[in-house]
Amino acid sequence: MIRFGLERRLERHWWQSVLTPLLSILAAFAAGAIFLLIKGFDPITVYRELFKASFTSKFGITDSLTIAVPLILTGLAAAVVFRMNIFNIGAEGQLYLGAIFGSWAGLAISDGLPTLLGVGVILIAGAIGGALWAAPAAIFKAYFGTSEIITTLMLTFIALFLMRYLIFGSNSYWRDPESTNFPQGKKISPEARFELWGDTRLHWGIVVAVAIALVVWAMIRFTSLGYDMNVVGSSDAAARYSGIPVRRTVILALLISGALGGLAGATEVAGRAYALDPNGLELGLGFTGIVVAALARYNPFAIILVATFLGGLRNAGVALQGLPGDRIPVEVSLMLQGAILLFAIGGEIFSHHRLRITRINQALPA
Amino acid sequence: MNDTAFILTLAAAVGAAVPIALAALGELLAEKSGVLNLGVEGMMLIGAVVAFQVGDSSGSLWLALLVGSIAGALFSSIHAFLTVTLRANQIVSGLALVIFGTGLSTFIGKSIEGKPLDTDFTPIELGPLADIPVLGPLLFDQDPMVYATIGIAIGITLYLNRTKAGLALRAVGESPGTADTMGVAVAATRYVHVMLGGLLAGMAGAYLVLGQVPSWSQDGTTAGIGWIALALVVFASWRPLRVLLGAFLFGFARRANFWLQGEDWAPDIPAEFLSMLPYLLTIGVLVVWGSRDLRLRVGAPSALGVPYDRDER
Repeated sequence: MIRFGLERRLERHWWQSVLTPLLSILAAFAAGAIFLLIKGFDPITVYRELFKASFTSKFGITDSLTIAVPLILTGLAAAVVFRMNIFNIGAEGQLYLGAIFGSWAGLAISDGLPTLLGVGVILIAGAIGGALWAAPAAIFKAYFGTSEIITTLMLTFIALFLMRYLIFGSNSYWRDPESTNFPQGKKISPEARFELWGDTRLHWGIVVAVAIALVVWAMIRFTSLGYDMNVVGSSDAAARYSGIPVRRTVILALLISGALGGLAGATEVAGRAYALDPNGLELGLGFTGIVVAALARYNPFAIILVATFLGGLRNAGVALQGLPGDRIPVEVSLMLQGAILLFAIGGEIFSHHRLRITRINQALPA
Repeated sequence: MNDTAFILTLAAAVGAAVPIALAALGELLAEKSGVLNLGVEGMMLIGAVVAFQVGDSSGSLWLALLVGSIAGALFSSIHAFLTVTLRANQIVSGLALVIFGTGLSTFIGKSIEGKPLDTDFTPIELGPLADIPVLGPLLFDQDPMVYATIGIAIGITLYLNRTKAGLALRAVGESPGTADTMGVAVAATRYVHVMLGGLLAGMAGAYLVLGQVPSWSQDGTTAGIGWIALALVVFASWRPLRVLLGAFLFGFARRANFWLQGEDWAPDIPAEFLSMLPYLLTIGVLVVWGSRDLRLRVGAPSALGVPYDRDER
């Protein structure tokens, strides 16, 4: 008889933490192939075109990086709190608020300011908007122990309806008065936008996003707040005994997370949409941030890489529409993302444990 | 005040409560075994898209409901495998289930998006009971799934409190180590109840596309009901009959806009703000009933969210 068991690994190697995400991506593509086959698509063609579209041409790569900008920020938003076992899954809603605040600042303040200042104002306003949207969840969690998982998500739905109200439901400050038939957001002035790189769609927001990843890494590593966050994350009780203000740390961590989500919305306003775009949920940038963070194992530098990869995957979904034959749904990339995350979670255990196969010799009766 | 509009809204709220109640009852079973499954929304979407496909091609409402429920159960086995066998973090795994379920259901459902389904559950009048004022249209002139949901809630109450299997289930959720010593198969119990939860969530999703919304769309079909169901379990203090009551409250919040918009005395609140109502209610309910101290007093399973490892007992 053979028994399978899991055994804790005594030593861990650095390559295991690289291999696990890579293998989970491969496994997810294999699983995705099954569903593609069921739907009558040739997985090899789909995957080849997918990579060609996102990572081989100049425009493919710059487009992937353009989507990576908000994904790095929402990935960081998830990572800073997930590593403390605090689950802010409302980066999506915080992103909407960042877009609402950012586009307001862009319309009301940035007009006439030099670009650097104008964009800066949008980013700061976006961060404030995101942090404010995380604040109720932070306060309820710190003072009443209310699950932040559900409150942050409920706030996302409320943010979505708020955004729809501002564009579709009222003649708000955000709505373009010219667009009566098909309501749209008012565009911010060209001076308040991120400069583009040459003839591509990539903008300077990518530098901002990478810089913020560095700042987040340094904050976790070198500041006393980062230290407090680590201790609270590993044990509430230990933190309390060593005199760390647990409530304050939890609230600050969630506010920082919200601000990062809000920044993602602000970079979208200043770099891509140039207005409040009410179709936020279709993009799902906030939710993808969770996948980014988990796959990067909450490491800020890995987040940059993973965000670019997932940005390309998302980007390719659109590019696949140009293929001859049956149209491949854009959603194939969303499905792959989910599968990658599931395999990453499943694979995680094998970086801590190894499979032990034992043979039990049963004495046979003579 | 227009009484008929109000009663019609209340009756509609009962229908709207069914998917919330089914999903929450399923989650209650999983949580009683100690497994938190945040993937309710994902399981509902899978149940919905599969049920729609089956309903569309076979024309049979009940077959669609059955296959949709089974699809939900199969989908939830991913969560059971990851959290029970591989002992992964239940929160992250549940979130992954939502993301995968959203992607997969949208991918599968692309070809049927916006397509109408011409079958519908027909209300069954329960004889003279249906003629009772107010209560009649509310409780005795509804479609069969309303009665079924009430039956399921009563069944789960009896199962939890009056049967040996129910007792074993509660033991696994409260103290898996003790249950293991007593000879209860902890892993098997958790698998079964996570999958029963998936079955009911799949059924909730199936009922949505078959009886509540006119067509399938990924963001419009469930619209966060799976998450509301999670909050409802807390609100109901893990008691099935209270789930029904809470679901009616949330169902009413979802339907209140139809009533308020037709009333003269009601202030002119924009539709978008009325749509926020169930989500605001969820936060409010969770802040009051979900506080840390209260949770343990009202009967949250002690081992909820903790993986069980016999070697590290």
